[in-house]
Amino acid sequence: MKDSREEILRKVKLGLYGDPKHKDGDISSRDSGRDFAKEAEELLRDRIIIADKLLEQFIKELLNVNTGVREAHGKEELRDFITGLVHENGVSSFVMWESESLNSLGLKELLKGEGLRQIISNDKNEIAEAGIGITGADYAIADTGTLVLLTDESKPRSVSLLPPIHLAIVRKSDIMTDISELFIILKQRLDTGQSVPSCMTFVTGPSRTADIELNLTLGVHGPKELHVIITE
Amino acid sequence: MGYERINFEADSGRAVDDEKLQRALVNVTNRFRSARQKASSEVPGWDELRTLGREIKKETIENLDRYLLMLEENVMKAGGQVHWARDGEEACAIIIEIARKNGVKSAVKSKSMATEEVELNAALEKAGIRAVETDLGEYIIQLAGEHPSHIIAPAVHKTKDDISRLFSEKLGIPYLSEPEELTKVARERMRSEFLSAGMGISGANFAVAETGTIVIVENEGNARLTTTVPRIHVALAGIEKIIPRYNDLSVFLTLLARSATGQKSSTYVSFITGPRRKTDKDGPEEFHLVLLDNGRSGILANEQTRESLYCIRCGACLNNCPVYRKVGGHSYGWVYSGPIGAIINPQLLGIDKAPELPFASSLCGACRDVCPVKIDFPRVLLELRHEVKESKAEKGKGMELLIERLSFRLWRTIVTHEKLYGTFSTLMYYLQKPFRGKGGNLGSLPYPFSRWTRDRDFPAIARTPFRERWKKLEKEIGQGGAGKGIR
Repeated sequence: MKDSREEILRKVKLGLYGDPKHKDGDISSRDSGRDFAKEAEELLRDRIIIADKLLEQFIKELLNVNTGVREAHGKEELRDFITGLVHENGVSSFVMWESESLNSLGLKELLKGEGLRQIISNDKNEIAEAGIGITGADYAIADTGTLVLLTDESKPRSVSLLPPIHLAIVRKSDIMTDISELFIILKQRLDTGQSVPSCMTFVTGPSRTADIELNLTLGVHGPKELHVIITE
Repeated sequence: MGYERINFEADSGRAVDDEKLQRALVNVTNRFRSARQKASSEVPGWDELRTLGREIKKETIENLDRYLLMLEENVMKAGGQVHWARDGEEACAIIIEIARKNGVKSAVKSKSMATEEVELNAALEKAGIRAVETDLGEYIIQLAGEHPSHIIAPAVHKTKDDISRLFSEKLGIPYLSEPEELTKVARERMRSEFLSAGMGISGANFAVAETGTIVIVENEGNARLTTTVPRIHVALAGIEKIIPRYNDLSVFLTLLARSATGQKSSTYVSFITGPRRKTDKDGPEEFHLVLLDNGRSGILANEQTRESLYCIRCGACLNNCPVYRKVGGHSYGWVYSGPIGAIINPQLLGIDKAPELPFASSLCGACRDVCPVKIDFPRVLLELRHEVKESKAEKGKGMELLIERLSFRLWRTIVTHEKLYGTFSTLMYYLQKPFRGKGGNLGSLPYPFSRWTRDRDFPAIARTPFRERWKKLEKEIGQGGAGKGIR
């Protein structure tokens, strides 16, 4: 297959420069040297949302995409929302991220106390059996009602994917204005030598399809329900 | 691969007569159009954003060799493997080889136009590997043994009733009439496929050179499952899918979702960089990226049509095309349909395989006006029409071409000389008399004009030409002139 690589590159160079032996060094003529990222940022930043409207905007967009949303003032309210949610849906087991911020909320103990079984296994079949998957969100985007989840050893992908209900706990301070603000931060992470995660996922509402005569149907593959609780 | 010559004329004729299809096309294209209209008008600077998208694509394509190498390097740095496929056959062979090496018997697939293009399903089946389409629309199409008819809504030509029957017949279940019930059946069937498949095959909406990241945009979650659950993930991407930098995604993701479905963001966007890390608890153990040429480097070589490669496959040009809206996707004879199909099918397959497609357009430019990367479709179509006329097949029709050429030359002389034009139209007014039908239109004209009147009437030439009426009107209204008087 080495030949194919060489042949494709040769054809690309031939197509672009009329010369398959074109060296990488002399292509700068076609490079405008423009900072597109900066231009995009400036363009998209026209839509900047005033700081105290961020939360309002985020909630509005979540509701637009069929997502349940609650604002928890204090730990007590957070616990009430969660126990309410699992009991309303008759959930008997849960799977959860092991991230520090989630662990500090004491949810595991709470849910076990409510009689739910925690699934700790990494086995896909067992995770798929969980009644609810609970995650945090590394960031959230107010403009589109999007949760941003970064995979690492404590934050597996399956938790927000395989169970029929996904609950995400979002900290108010993690809400960004829009996608361009998010990418500025991601870029900063990159520039400071942090590696890109194996998987980053944007989640905007529950799984949906409109493939049958454009009828909106939720939960075709991913979670049927998405709930967001916003904390201080 | 031995593709047949596309027969647009015959296929579109059948489509126009299919009442069910006509209703479905109106329904879907209207919905997508109004959604796009609304979503794009919410973004101040939408037009500038499209320009920016175009310029980024332009620069990427013009430096493609460099970005391909950068992408390769960074995918490998992240622990992934990169394969290069000159054509569809090679792409299939690479994927089959990966499957064989790992003893894969069944694979799940998320929606990918590139895999449709290389006919991967048929190749896998031949190699004894089961391939299950998991996007609901694609699943429906696969059950029916058909091809997608819309880039983002593959089963748009099927009614609910069609799907209910299909599920009942192929899956051996009772007739279910509600989309929710049908969807539930699909969910259950496919969950077990996901959990047992040895390999997940996806396409890629974007491939970021700077980080080696593959981006997949979807609503159902099947692409997430495809790229998370099986032990191996293979992504097939055309070499034009590259974007240079991570940050550029904020431009393209904003453009794509709003142009395609009118959503502010698609439900799920996955950014995949290599296989799972050692410490990760899930995700595939192997990640393979197959870079597909299959004629793309040929498009690159033609500066006049190179911008065809800027396309991000949103489908907006289909929904807004007066031709697509009548003839549907299957008339275009291959995986890509609508205006984008009309420009890339002839270029990827060879102009002799699809000589009618560049003519399947009124050149109204609606596609260009909605395109998120501002592809100048009418200009590219004209260029391809020129190529068709210059091609060998057309050269064979020497006499016909000569007549066509002379007619147009004559026409040019007439329309550029006012007096001559006046005499000509008066003459035509009298000559047309025997052909006038009931409604006053010309219903049937002799050859070569019969090729027009076979399918539709030709408007009759008025007794008083517009020029005369205009002059009269100007006089009546007086000093201000007709133009000012009419508001």
